[in-house]
Amino acid sequence: MKLIGRLYRHAPLATRNEITPKLGFALTVLLALAWLIPFLWMGVATLRPASDGINLMAELVPSLKPTLDNIRDAWEIGDFPRYFLNTTIICTGILLVQFVTITLAGFAFARLDFAGKTPIFYLFLMQLMLVPVLLIVPNLRLVAQLGLYDTLAGVMMPFFASAFGTFLMRQAFEAIPTELEDAALIDGASLFQRIRHIYVPLSIPSFSAFAIISVTSHWNDFLWPLMVINSPDKRPLTVGLSVFTRTAEGTQAWGTIAAGTLMVIAPLLITFLIFQKRFISSFVTSGIK
Amino acid sequence: MLFSRRLMLGLAMAGALAVPALAGEGPTEIDLFFPVPVDGKLARDMGTLIKEFNNGHPDIKATAVYTGSYDDTLIKTRAAIKAGKPPSAVIMSANFLLDMQIENELTNLDSLIAADDTTKEKFLGQFFPALQGNAVINRSVYGVPFHNSTPLLYINADKAKEAGLDPNKPPQTWAELTDWAKKLTKRDGDKVTQWGIAIPCAYDYCGWMMETLTMTNGGRYYNEEFGGEVYYDTPSMLGALTWWSDLVSKHKVHPPGATPGPAVSTSFISGNAAMMMLSTGSLTYVRENAKFNYKVAFIPRNVRNAVPIGGASLIIPAGLEADKQKAAWTLIKWMTSPEKSAWWSRATGYFAPNMAAYKTPDMIEFLNKNPDAKTAVEQLDVAKPWFATYKTVPVRKTLEDEVMLVLNGKKQPKEALVAAQKAADELLKPYNAETSLKLP
Repeated sequence: MKLIGRLYRHAPLATRNEITPKLGFALTVLLALAWLIPFLWMGVATLRPASDGINLMAELVPSLKPTLDNIRDAWEIGDFPRYFLNTTIICTGILLVQFVTITLAGFAFARLDFAGKTPIFYLFLMQLMLVPVLLIVPNLRLVAQLGLYDTLAGVMMPFFASAFGTFLMRQAFEAIPTELEDAALIDGASLFQRIRHIYVPLSIPSFSAFAIISVTSHWNDFLWPLMVINSPDKRPLTVGLSVFTRTAEGTQAWGTIAAGTLMVIAPLLITFLIFQKRFISSFVTSGIK
Repeated sequence: MLFSRRLMLGLAMAGALAVPALAGEGPTEIDLFFPVPVDGKLARDMGTLIKEFNNGHPDIKATAVYTGSYDDTLIKTRAAIKAGKPPSAVIMSANFLLDMQIENELTNLDSLIAADDTTKEKFLGQFFPALQGNAVINRSVYGVPFHNSTPLLYINADKAKEAGLDPNKPPQTWAELTDWAKKLTKRDGDKVTQWGIAIPCAYDYCGWMMETLTMTNGGRYYNEEFGGEVYYDTPSMLGALTWWSDLVSKHKVHPPGATPGPAVSTSFISGNAAMMMLSTGSLTYVRENAKFNYKVAFIPRNVRNAVPIGGASLIIPAGLEADKQKAAWTLIKWMTSPEKSAWWSRATGYFAPNMAAYKTPDMIEFLNKNPDAKTAVEQLDVAKPWFATYKTVPVRKTLEDEVMLVLNGKKQPKEALVAAQKAADELLKPYNAETSLKLP
């Protein structure tokens, strides 16, 4: 209660003396704790020496003799720097191409007139309802025919176009007043100049919201990279990590798993902590909550 | 001038000829797909094993490719075959072979065996007879057993003594097991502080445990000779599921809900569960982590002693070039040799399928030090092949989904088994229609 009181003193002045906000604030703190516990456990388990035995594995109280053994073990089993690099290449590669395709497609659906525009748009949206697993075999066959089997480009290719991104950008572009474009038209701006100088800068929040969703989903994707990649040096983080988390016959080294998981999520977590404010505001302005 | 032009032409032709020749002279590159069945350090052990093979065979360059769980490995292998990039060899869950053979995805190994100047009988004779059911289909060899398992009963001997039970006389029947579990369960009011027994139920494991219980109840889970029939809605199966669900809801000596394997082994190691049924594949883990005396025993029976085989075999997918096929065969023979399979068995806890492995000096010494590793081998006398049908995984999942509902207290055993049978029959229909009869 004391802690809540102390935290509470930093709450906005206007809501300080009301009962419901107080209750709401306490609930928020509780919820935050519930979210925090797995992370805490991961940190504690990572530093726990194996000599503590499995009995203490579920304890949240840190060990008195913390050790870096688990981290070293995980580091040795997996070539983590390489996995990081691969995942980063995959995520940025996909995102960069997506930015181009969703901008152009979103613009076409928002502002251009062409035959069958509405049915084509609905076809696009229908894609969102397909489970990605369904497409594994046809996609893989195509990737192999293009000579991209066992390459990072093969992992990226199916995601270059994004139905969700197209939809998001269409909504964002439609919200921009046409008068701005008309003014640019009078000044003699070409189609691409209009997109570049009017639509793109005004939709930055939507772009960053999309970037977050795209990066996190591809950062976490397991099955598709597992299908495409054979060479150990081309594995992304998820596949590398699963080498020691997926078991069939019932045993697990929790300390190593915790250490590995920590290494995998750390970059995303740190990025989020640094850009927290901007991330949240981008979701608010783009209408995703 | 003429001379030099001719020279140039000659050089170019020589060059053109030399390129394919050079490519042919390099080592044959092959991929081995492997799932990680026990824990992460084994991925490293697998790397060590393949490196040793490559050093000893300069004309072959094998790469070990990690492919997830057994089920993921099947998906990846199938997708790779369909994409025209089949791997050269795969460590495949032993019960997937039939389904793959039905789909024409496997290389028949008979001719490779014949090319070695040996007979099928001699080749198969190296392995425990119980394993052959999952390796031989229609009298042809399609798989080579690599690491195999049977379920075992693990007992916390300290807790048993504490409860006045003799760990040297483990329970032999279901009735005795129920009795032990009751005595080993500790309660604090309504709250259970120590469970008598835990049996895993997660995808893959759940079906295996149901097969175990059904077999020890005198029944069978599927048609061993024909891939189109499962026997879910039968008295022996109903008895098995009722006994399991009674442990949970009637006697309250088994934690409720479907518990995955790692949670079961963790709760056994931590003393939260006094007994567990788990694969011998977990034995090394238990040996290294248990801070108490433990015993390993046969799975108790109701009608008869019986266990299904588990684990994995090595296969060669269909559609490979001849040189890759030959290289993969060399790798498979090397990996299943007595020394290598004994080494792998000691590292994992799986038993070595090659009988000669148990005659190697290292293994004899190891067994003297760790007599608990013998139980699974002794149990092989009553072992039977592992569940395998057309569309093995979906057919297995129909039962697993229903068993999970029962263990969660959401369904009664009888209605669950009827539903599972119906769903499985639906999946098996195309195969039955194509093979045994024209269904109406």
